[in-house]
Amino acid sequence: MTLIAPGSILWLLGHEMRLYWRNFRAGRAGRGARGLISLIVVGVMLFGGGVLAALGLHEVEVPIHPISISVAALAAAVVFTLMLSQTLSASSEALYERGDLDLLFASPIGPAKVLFVRSLGVAGGVVTIFALIVTPLLLPSVIWGHPGWAGVFGVLGGLALSSTAVGLLLAMALFALIGPRRTRTVAQVMAALVGAAFFLVSQTRTILGEQKSSSLFAEITRQAQEGRLHPSPIMSLPLRAMLGEPLPLLTLLAGSAGLFALAALALGRRFSDAAAATQGKTAARPAKATRSEARRAFSAGPFLATVRKELLLIRRDAALLSQVLLRVLYLIPTALLLSRNAAEGAGPALAGGAGVVAFLAGQVAGSLAWITLSAEDAPDLLAVSPARIRTLRRAKLAAALIPVALFLVAPIAVLTWFLPSAGAWTALGAALAAWSSGLINIWHQRPGKRADFKRRGGASWMATIAEMLVSALLAGATGLAVAGLWPWALVPLGLAGATLLSLRRGDAQIARNLRTR
Amino acid sequence: MTEALIVRGLDKTFTKPAVMDLDLTVHAGELYALLGPNGAGKTTTLRMVAGLTKPDKGEISIFGIDARAEPAAAKAITAWAPDEAMVYDRLTPLEYLEFVAGLWNVEPKTAKARAEDLLSKLSLAAEARTRCEDFSRGMKQKVALAGALIHDPRLLILDEPLTGLDAAAARLVKDMLQERVDAGGTVILTTHILEVAERMADRIGIIAGGRLLAEGTLDALRSQAGEGKGGSTLEDVFLQLTAGDANGTTA
Repeated sequence: MTLIAPGSILWLLGHEMRLYWRNFRAGRAGRGARGLISLIVVGVMLFGGGVLAALGLHEVEVPIHPISISVAALAAAVVFTLMLSQTLSASSEALYERGDLDLLFASPIGPAKVLFVRSLGVAGGVVTIFALIVTPLLLPSVIWGHPGWAGVFGVLGGLALSSTAVGLLLAMALFALIGPRRTRTVAQVMAALVGAAFFLVSQTRTILGEQKSSSLFAEITRQAQEGRLHPSPIMSLPLRAMLGEPLPLLTLLAGSAGLFALAALALGRRFSDAAAATQGKTAARPAKATRSEARRAFSAGPFLATVRKELLLIRRDAALLSQVLLRVLYLIPTALLLSRNAAEGAGPALAGGAGVVAFLAGQVAGSLAWITLSAEDAPDLLAVSPARIRTLRRAKLAAALIPVALFLVAPIAVLTWFLPSAGAWTALGAALAAWSSGLINIWHQRPGKRADFKRRGGASWMATIAEMLVSALLAGATGLAVAGLWPWALVPLGLAGATLLSLRRGDAQIARNLRTR
Repeated sequence: MTEALIVRGLDKTFTKPAVMDLDLTVHAGELYALLGPNGAGKTTTLRMVAGLTKPDKGEISIFGIDARAEPAAAKAITAWAPDEAMVYDRLTPLEYLEFVAGLWNVEPKTAKARAEDLLSKLSLAAEARTRCEDFSRGMKQKVALAGALIHDPRLLILDEPLTGLDAAAARLVKDMLQERVDAGGTVILTTHILEVAERMADRIGIIAGGRLLAEGTLDALRSQAGEGKGGSTLEDVFLQLTAGDANGTTA
C-alpha cells in the first residue's frame, strides 16, 4: 500500500520529479568523471567565496535604509525577470510537447491538477538553478552569524512561484491573442527579450548617449546622497524578507503562492484545451507555393544542398533564434557605444567594443556550429549517402558562419565608415573567432538532440570551454590591434593558435570519437 | 544471373553476437524478404549492407562493388529506408527531397521532376510544401520512401516499410515496390507482416539468432520445413523454422 494516494497532487509530483531526475541523469550520461569534477570545482569555488563573504560580513548588520532597500528590490526584480524568461519559455513549450500530456489528460485526473503539478515542476526547476548558485555562497553566512539570511531561499521560492504564474498567464494570453501557430515562436522571442530586459534598461544611458558608463548602483547611491531616493514601504518587502523578518517573508510567500495557485488552477481547463489545439498546428506554412518558390531550381550537389538545408533549419528554429537574438541584444549597447566612439574618432576607445564584437562572433558561431555539426536529426541519412564527410562538414560549417557574417555586417560597416583600419581588424578578428569556434566544434563533435540547444545539452564540455578561451584570446588580439598595438596582438593570437593546435583532431580521431559515443 | 547483393561470412558482435557467419545472395530484379523474430539480426544485417554498421568480418558486394572497400561507389547505387523515417520535421517534403537529391548528386532538373513525380505518386503533392512536423508516422514514412527513391537506386533496402501506414498507403507502397521490381529494380525488405512477404517476395530468407536458417521461394521453404508443397502458409513455415529462437534481443 502506498502512503500517497495515486492520482493525488503529491503522487503526480513524485512522478514528475522522477522523470525530471531521470532526464537530468540521461542528459549527464557520458560526461563521466570530468563533468562531476567540473561541478565540484565550481561548487568549491562558490563555497570558498561564501566562506570569505561570511568572514567579512560576520559582524556586519545590513541596515534598512533607502540604498539597501532599492538594491535588494532591484536584485529581486533582476532575478524575477531572469526566472520569467525561463518560465515563459517552459510554459509555452509545455503546450507543444506531447510527452505524457495526452496520457494525463486522457486519465480521470482533472486538468487543473495536471497543470498545477506541471507548473510546480517548472517553478521547482527554476528555483533549483538559482539555489545551486546561491546556496554555497550564502550558507556559510547563514550558519555563522546570520541565520536570518536564510530568508533569501524563501524569497527565491516566492519569486519562482510568481514568475511561473506570470509565465503561464503570458503564454496563455499569447495563445488567445495570436493562436497556436505563432505562440511558440513569439513566446521564445519574448523570453529572450525579458531575459535581456534588465541589461538593456541598465544600459539605457549608454544607448541614449547621455553618459558613456554609469552603473545602476552608482545611480542609486547618487540619488540617495542627494536625498532624492524615497522607496515606498512595499519596496522594502524583499530586503526584509531576505533578512528573515517573518512577516515580510510570509507575506511574500503567501502572495506568490496565491498568485501561483490562482493561475495554475484557473487555467487548468484552458491549458488542456490549448494543448489539444496545438496538435497539428505547429506548421505555419501554407501548402501553396509562391511563384518564385515553385520556379526555384534544386540545389546542385551535396555542399549546396546541405548549406540550404541547414540554413532552412536554423531559420525555422524558434528556440535557436531567441538565443541568438539574446546575444545580439547584449551586443546593442556595445554597438551603439562603438558607433558613437567611431563618430568621435576615438581609435583606442574602440578597442573594447571591437573585442566584444569578435568575442560574440565566436560565441554565436560556436552555438550555431554545434547545432549544424552535432545536432543532426538524421545522421543515418548522411551516413548512407555517397557524399564525402568532409564536404558535408564544410557545408555545415559554412551554414553556421553565414548568419554570423550577416549579424556582423552592421557593426563592421559602421566602424569601417569612420575608421577603416578598425573595421578591417574587427572583421578579421571576428572571422577568426567564428572560424575557430567552428573548427573546435568539428574536432570535438558530440552528437545531441536539436531540442537540447538551449542548454547546449549535448555539447562537449571541453569544446565549450575551449571555444570561450579561444574567442576571448582572439577578442583580446582584435582589441589590441584596433588600439594600434598590433605587435602585442600577436601574443594572444599565438596563444589562440597554440590552443587550437592542441585541440586539433584528424578525421580518424573524429570518427573514432563519434563511434565510441 | 547478375547478383544484386552477395554477403559472405558476415559477423557482428555487440555485447553479444548479433550476426554470425551470414551468407546471403539477392538476385538482380527480385524482391527479397528477410524475415525473422525480434532480435534475429535482420536490421543489423541490413545496416551493415547499407554501410551504417561496420562488420567485424565478412564481405559485402553490391552489383559487383566491394562495399567495404569502395563504400561511396556502393552507396551511390543503394538506398536505405529504416522503420523510423529519417526526415527533418522543419523541412517540407520538397525541401527534404532537394536535400537528399543533393547528397546523391542528382542533377537538379532531374531531381526536381522526380521529386514532383514521387510526391504525386505517393499522394503527397498537396503537402509538398508543408513542414513535416505535424505529419503522421505514415506520411513521414512516405516522405522517407520518396527520399530513398529520388536517386533511382539499383538496390533498395527497406526495414519494415509498411509500419504505420494505413491500408490505402500500404497498398500504394506495395504497388510502387512491385512496379520497381517489374522494371528491373531490386528490393530487399524486412517485415513482420508475413502475408506481404508471401504475396510479394520472389524469395524469402529466414534469420534467427544471427544466422540464416532458410532461404528460397515459398515452396522451397515449405520443403525445408518439411511441409507439403502448397499445403501450409508462410506463417506456419516461419514458426516451425524459428521455433525456440523467438526471444532474441538484438535487432
